[in-house]
Amino acid sequence: MKRKTFIVSLALLATLPFISCSKSESKSKLTIALLPKSKGNQYFVTCEKGARTAAKELGAELKFDGPINSDPAKQNEIVENWITDGVDVIVAACENKDSISTALKKAQAANIKVVTYDADAQPDARSFFVNQATAQGIGEQLMDTAASLTGGEGEFALITGTLTAANLNEWIKYIKAQQAAKYPNMKLVDIKPCDDQKDKAQQEATNLLSAYPNLKAIIGVCSPSVPGAAEAIKQAGKAGAVKLVGLGLPSENKAYVKEGVTQAVILWNVEQLGYLAVMAGAAVAKGELAPGATEFTAGKLGKMPVAGDNIVLGKPFVFTKENIDQFDF
Amino acid sequence: MNKYFRELTVAAALGLLMLGLAILAPHFFQFQPFISRLTSQMPALVAAIGIALIIISRQIDISIGSQFSMCAIIAGVTAASGLPLGVAIFAALGAGAMMGALNGVLVAYLGLPSIVVTLATMVTWQEALRLWQQGRLLNLPKGIQWFGLSQPAGQTIVISLAFILLIGAAWAMKNLAAGRFIYATGTDAEAARLAGIDPKRTTFGVFVLMGILAGLAAVFNLVQSPQVQPNCGDGLELKTIAAAVVGGVAISGGRGTLWGVLLGMLLLANVNPALTHFHQPPYWEKAIQGLVILLAVVADGIRSRKARL
Repeated sequence: MKRKTFIVSLALLATLPFISCSKSESKSKLTIALLPKSKGNQYFVTCEKGARTAAKELGAELKFDGPINSDPAKQNEIVENWITDGVDVIVAACENKDSISTALKKAQAANIKVVTYDADAQPDARSFFVNQATAQGIGEQLMDTAASLTGGEGEFALITGTLTAANLNEWIKYIKAQQAAKYPNMKLVDIKPCDDQKDKAQQEATNLLSAYPNLKAIIGVCSPSVPGAAEAIKQAGKAGAVKLVGLGLPSENKAYVKEGVTQAVILWNVEQLGYLAVMAGAAVAKGELAPGATEFTAGKLGKMPVAGDNIVLGKPFVFTKENIDQFDF
Repeated sequence: MNKYFRELTVAAALGLLMLGLAILAPHFFQFQPFISRLTSQMPALVAAIGIALIIISRQIDISIGSQFSMCAIIAGVTAASGLPLGVAIFAALGAGAMMGALNGVLVAYLGLPSIVVTLATMVTWQEALRLWQQGRLLNLPKGIQWFGLSQPAGQTIVISLAFILLIGAAWAMKNLAAGRFIYATGTDAEAARLAGIDPKRTTFGVFVLMGILAGLAAVFNLVQSPQVQPNCGDGLELKTIAAAVVGGVAISGGRGTLWGVLLGMLLLANVNPALTHFHQPPYWEKAIQGLVILLAVVADGIRSRKARL
């Protein structure tokens, strides 16, 4: 606890010069504050990379700060500081929807624009949400990739996080719909929960491989399930014979992808998410993007469609043997 | 009633399950999946030996899942920093011993209830790990998986060490003074004290041993894949306590054998693979396991009622 207090006070001290500086600087330079769920997490560090690129292109100042651990109370604290600080726009990934919304509304009342990304706040606490991917996009991409690897034929199984996780069930719904619509020769034989544990996923996959000798593919719907299933396929000596596709971070799957055990890992382009979030924040602050808009220009990404108050990053990205080395998150 | 009635009942249930699988889903017994499955059950078996001793001494330790995760990550980080596997193993066992000793001091010497103490340490280690690792998978260097040997060799080592440990512990519980101290402390701590046993020291020792076994279990888990996840021990406490209860270890202390624990663990651990091989939906897994535990508890209840009459 002592140490935490110490770190927090250090962090506060470090921001002091900024506070005094930014006030004295000319008002023409846009100040964008980017809030990650946790600033030590590689995922958000990668977001920051994209955000920096965007800020540079815009000639804006970017502040990046967040909790060390995923801590909703700390997120509120940082937002409060930014309000005092007088930033132009806050771009936030929300750890806890309800708790941060109060702080974000306070920011809006202080004339600071708010945009969310990665994880949304309550709709009235921000003007737009930059959505990394839709459930439909994820579900269809997973199914299409699996089908393209198996030639659109054969039995496949899913490994999910828990049977009750709403977002995962939503993705599974679209996987099933896509299979029914486009791949009539494929058959979903089983769905197993791994309780978000890699080791349980490994055991489930071992069982699936021996219980369904004709299995052609496994789709990992939650991120721990992909390396878990990969290890099971590898131990069974079925690398390549049973295809593996799943959702996850490149860094957690790199070894298996390069060995040819995992054929494809699917995720949105995290760097682009940071880029788009900052572009959207800037556009809102400049008044270029207002409620009712159907599209806006996001720098090098070009025109991005706006659906209601959602800006969708686009189709998920597929990491394969060929490109996975370029990513380090 | 036969002294080993429970063990025999559970063995019969397990035998029936295996027979059903042999007839309806012979794929279950293919060599590789069978061995991989058994290997993956060994960490829980090692931890279950510890939890059985804890329960026999009339205590409980629900922090073992957190201890397991912590030991696994400590070993993983040690290995990832380039130190040899031996050092990583030593770090895991040492960390386990220290966490066990903390529980032991608080329970045995401060007289605090073990359920509360271990609830507190469970949450503490879990949150510390979250803060430290941010939930990410840790990639291990080469030479950790299967102790740097081949897959069959690594699996053989894990399975045989776990069984040697089980046999040794079962023998010690029956034939060594330390084993009898544990039974005596769990049956009646005051009577044990009057008989010249130090129940505090015994309790402390059992918690330390539990920590070391949690560390060893973590090592057995670590060597089975090239990555380690900070939540790898989640749910281990329930899995092992259930195995002990089903295997006939009385939750009121003083009674139970490690053979029963082995059978209980194998029975519960094979419910899920059996369901998969019978092509049944996974929803049944927890329900069936719950029913088995309930049956065991009811049987215990009937037994102790009869004993009182």
